[in-house]
Amino acid sequence: MNNLVYLIPFFPLLGFLINGLFRKSLNKPLIGIIGSGSILASFVVSLLLFFQVKSNGALPVQPLFSFIDVESFKIAFAFQVDQLSSLFLLIITGIGFLIHLYSTSYMHDEPAEHFGRYFAYLNLFVFSMLLLVLGANYVIMFIGWEGVGLCSYLLIGFWFKNNNYNYAAKKAFVMNRIGDLGFLLAVFWILAKLGTVEYYEVFAQTAKLSNADIFGITILLFIGATGKSAQIPLYTWLPDAMAGPTPVSALIHAATMVTAGIYMIARSNILYTMAPVTQVIIAVIGLATAVFAATIALKQNDIKKVLAYSTVSQLGYMFLGLGVGAYTGAVFHVMTHAFFKALLFLGAGSVIHAMGGEQDIRKMGGLAKKMPQTNWTFLVACFAIAGVPPLSGFFSKDEILAAAFEKNSLLYYIGVAGALMTAFYMFRLYAMTFLGQFRGTHEQEHHLHESPAAMTIPLIVLAILAAVGGLIGIPEAILPNAHKLEAFLEPVFEQSTRYVHEAHTVSHSTELMLMGVVTVIIIGVIVAAWRKFSKYQYSDAEETGLGKVLENKWYVDEIYDAVIVNPLLKLAGFLKNVVEKSGIDGIVNGVGRFVGYSARQLRLLQSGQVGNYILFMVLSLVVLFLVFWNETIISEFLKKIF
Amino acid sequence: MHITGLLLDAPQANTAANYLPIALQLLFALGFVATMMIVTHLLGPKRKTADKLATFTSGIETHGNARTPMAIKYFLVAILFVLFDVEVIFFYPYAVNFRALGWSGFYSVLMFVGFFIVGFFYIIKKGALVWED
Amino acid sequence: MNAIILSAVLGVVMMFSSVFVKNKSALKHIAAAGLLVLLIANIADTYGCSLFKIDLHNMLRFDKFGLFFNTIGIGATLIYVVLSGRDIEKSGNYVAEYFALIFFVLCGLTLLTSFGNLLMLFIGIEILSIPLYILTGSDKRNLKSNEAAIKYFLMGSFSTGIMLMGIALIYGGTGSFQLEVVRSVFASYKGVSFLEIAGLLFLLVAMAFKVSAAPFHFWTPDVYDGAPSVFTSFMATVVKAAAFVAFIRLFDARVTETSAAVDWKMLFSILIISTLLIGNITAVFQQSVKRMLAYSSIAQAGFMLFALFSLNDMAKEGLLLYAAAYSLATIGIFAILIKMKDVSFEGYNGLAKTQPLLAATNTIFLLSLAGIPLTAGFFAKYYMLASVIKTGSYTWLVIFAVLFAAVSAYYYFRVIQAMYFKNGEAQTDTITPGFKAGMVIVAAIIVIVGILPQTILNWFYF
Repeated sequence: MNNLVYLIPFFPLLGFLINGLFRKSLNKPLIGIIGSGSILASFVVSLLLFFQVKSNGALPVQPLFSFIDVESFKIAFAFQVDQLSSLFLLIITGIGFLIHLYSTSYMHDEPAEHFGRYFAYLNLFVFSMLLLVLGANYVIMFIGWEGVGLCSYLLIGFWFKNNNYNYAAKKAFVMNRIGDLGFLLAVFWILAKLGTVEYYEVFAQTAKLSNADIFGITILLFIGATGKSAQIPLYTWLPDAMAGPTPVSALIHAATMVTAGIYMIARSNILYTMAPVTQVIIAVIGLATAVFAATIALKQNDIKKVLAYSTVSQLGYMFLGLGVGAYTGAVFHVMTHAFFKALLFLGAGSVIHAMGGEQDIRKMGGLAKKMPQTNWTFLVACFAIAGVPPLSGFFSKDEILAAAFEKNSLLYYIGVAGALMTAFYMFRLYAMTFLGQFRGTHEQEHHLHESPAAMTIPLIVLAILAAVGGLIGIPEAILPNAHKLEAFLEPVFEQSTRYVHEAHTVSHSTELMLMGVVTVIIIGVIVAAWRKFSKYQYSDAEETGLGKVLENKWYVDEIYDAVIVNPLLKLAGFLKNVVEKSGIDGIVNGVGRFVGYSARQLRLLQSGQVGNYILFMVLSLVVLFLVFWNETIISEFLKKIF
Repeated sequence: MHITGLLLDAPQANTAANYLPIALQLLFALGFVATMMIVTHLLGPKRKTADKLATFTSGIETHGNARTPMAIKYFLVAILFVLFDVEVIFFYPYAVNFRALGWSGFYSVLMFVGFFIVGFFYIIKKGALVWED
Repeated sequence: MNAIILSAVLGVVMMFSSVFVKNKSALKHIAAAGLLVLLIANIADTYGCSLFKIDLHNMLRFDKFGLFFNTIGIGATLIYVVLSGRDIEKSGNYVAEYFALIFFVLCGLTLLTSFGNLLMLFIGIEILSIPLYILTGSDKRNLKSNEAAIKYFLMGSFSTGIMLMGIALIYGGTGSFQLEVVRSVFASYKGVSFLEIAGLLFLLVAMAFKVSAAPFHFWTPDVYDGAPSVFTSFMATVVKAAAFVAFIRLFDARVTETSAAVDWKMLFSILIISTLLIGNITAVFQQSVKRMLAYSSIAQAGFMLFALFSLNDMAKEGLLLYAAAYSLATIGIFAILIKMKDVSFEGYNGLAKTQPLLAATNTIFLLSLAGIPLTAGFFAKYYMLASVIKTGSYTWLVIFAVLFAAVSAYYYFRVIQAMYFKNGEAQTDTITPGFKAGMVIVAAIIVIVGILPQTILNWFYF
């Protein structure tokens, strides 16, 4: 039974190999079946393991083979299935399967070869993501970490004929690599101090680490997380990553890959609990990202860009949760976010599909009548993300905010402000897309249709999950002992909870009151947004003042270009044109030229005249005799040189 | 290590002084030759004509160049002659010591002659001694 | 002893087969059979089964090192005759005599691996060299071949003169030609006299000439280039390796290490540096693959000189491995070169398309010469350099050698580049399936030795 672990990454790998190698000979339905079927198979196995973990606790670490074995330095290629990873397995394979299914229809217009390439990448992504969460040490996690980064790059640039998409892919890759460097340094640090990278062994030996070590390791790991999970200052790649096909955005840039950073920190929770300074930094950066991204989302007109900034913002909330020690809350939000954000992206995909590729919400409107299923599922998701009870987002977001309130009420108030903005921009998006009058061309209007079943079924399943998924984590304040998730995840965070001996300082009544007030305000915001934007009329008028700043995303990309990218390009140009041309090339070519020159000169010694040859030989003989007499002098001389 | 050091370390018998008689003899030999040549050159009568400078070939008129190509057969025969001629150099001392060397000496020379016979047989068979083309 | 007498007898047999065997193509089969007999007799000798019991008065001394080298030399010659026999046949009218001369060369080789007396060394060197002068000039109508033969003969005689001078000086100093006596004199004297050291120095020069170590290498490019390619192949491999074995036999550790008056290591390092420098650098600029191989053989000699530099057990093992690896690869390269219509680099253009198998095996041989891992050449070079490291000094010499090994990759890869990456129609003679099979076997041996050097080296522990 335990050995089933191997099957989970095996199926997607197999799917990748088949689709990747035979993409030219397979037909599209077969590719779709192989691609989705492999993920479904993994999902079934994950489900089996999940129930096993649920009843029996974490499975022992499963070593597959010795990955690196150099004297005392050993790293096993091992898998670890505990409560945390089994939960992530379900999210990855479950939502992954739905998105694969959706893709079979969404990508239907691609030629078979690219269709196969798409599914091969997607399967490879799932495989890497599974490695990331299954790995029993930081090195395996890093392999998965790099693998998902690669797949993200490949899929963002999937339509590689458009150069802008390639730039977006490159940007994502480079930003990720900056973060990866932090991750890698952290792993080296751990290895240097503890001599192992196995989770069990590292977490058991945390006492050996000094405070400075823990701070350094945690902050470096967090830098890794800011890259992968799109936090300030490395978040700018995520909105650009929307260049990829929409299901990719749903899977990679909403549900799974971007939460890898949260997984990593939750996995290393004990280290973070022991590093309060890092926690503060994480909380502040998370909250700042949450609010900052939310402000940008207020003014975006591209349906996917809004969702992208919303994702950045929601990831910020998760980091806020991690920063204030609400690990369960963060993981909970990962899960609910995966449901509703995947749903939103898939819904957006459905809309884009119907609109024939149009992504500007100013040119939409009134789609509710034409696309009923997409409409109501999207609406459910909007309520969920806005945090309207009893939908899933309410519970998870509330848990994080409640924990923030415990730490510092300022965090809470800013967080709530962000939540209100979330509600506002989500309903702005909804109203502009689905309500009011259609503002597109006649051709588009004529073309409007509900998407096929392969696309709507995943929407419906996700809508149900987004609606009820929060019920596994009902807070104590509402219903005692109903937080199933906390009980389930308790062994993972046990060490941290033992480390922190703080009691709840907030009474249940306060918590309930806060919840109620926030809910009422949110509903008010929703109503306002609904009323304002359902009557939206298209206008080309440029935004002014703050609106313009927001529409241009606070000019962050421009600032990065001016402060970092351009100076780097200049430096690179200098190195290329000056240092390399005259310096490095000069040396390298100079060596070559010197060899060539001496070869031409030495060749002249070979004159073909026997007399000369014999003369040279005799001269050499004489020189040898001289050396023999003065050998001490010459050997001293040579020893000085070398 | 220097030459002077070498000489100082050498046994007494090898000092430079002991080579004095040899040096004297060398000097005398060279001096005698040189003196004779110079004296004859100065004393003898001289009458230079073209006929006197011509090559003397037993009264026969010279014609052509000395360095004309010759048939390789001459060289072949000459070299083979030398080979078999030198054989005698080995035979002569053997003949002198014939009794002293006994049977083992006899076998050795027999082997030596055997080799020559084999070689002889080979050159005959290869036609090295056939004069006509 | 078996090999010495049998090789001489077989040489005579080959001579007479020209008289009795009229079918020219049968001769190479006779020669191959003779070599096989020789090989078996020598292996039997290695295991103590000697056919001849003659009192040698220590003129010759047989040991496992020498006998094992005989096996390598005879085996390489057998492979050479099998691969290139057809080309020997084509190179002139006196086929049987060519084979006979090859047997006489082997006779010289076996003497050089077992000499116990300086006169035997001299006789061995002469028996080795004189047939080569003739083989070099065997292409009678080719002016270059004649020129090469004369040059070789002149310079060879010159070096012989130097060698005799050295032997005479040593005799003058020690009163004996016996190697053991000479050694004991070197070991016992507090200050060895100038005579002996000068004699040894002359011998060093003469042997350096024979192994074509710079600055006594001048004959090599002209002779190798002028001689018919088939015989260049033989000269550059088996003969050169034999000279090396004689060299190391002569300069045994006891001769050099005890005579502290001369820093022999310094002398050898000068030879090594100049050999590596001249061989590698000059090879870079050659236009003809054949001439490039001549310089490459000088460069390889530079590496083999490391055995004489370090003179330990590892060096001796390494020299055997090097001799085997180098000989096999070079015989293979020459076997292909002989088949080429044009032996310049351009002539190899596109060989991979016309003769993919030959190109592939040639690549393996070249990689082995360049010392790329997974080939025998790599371990050969490794052993040589490791033996120097083991002596504990002169590490800079190793770095120097590695640098030049990198330079050597340049000209070897030029051939590979021409075969695979240049467009052209490389012209070859007809290639028989047997030839291809032979090439594959030789390449396989090189790769097997490259992967499992230990199995081969285990034989070397004696």
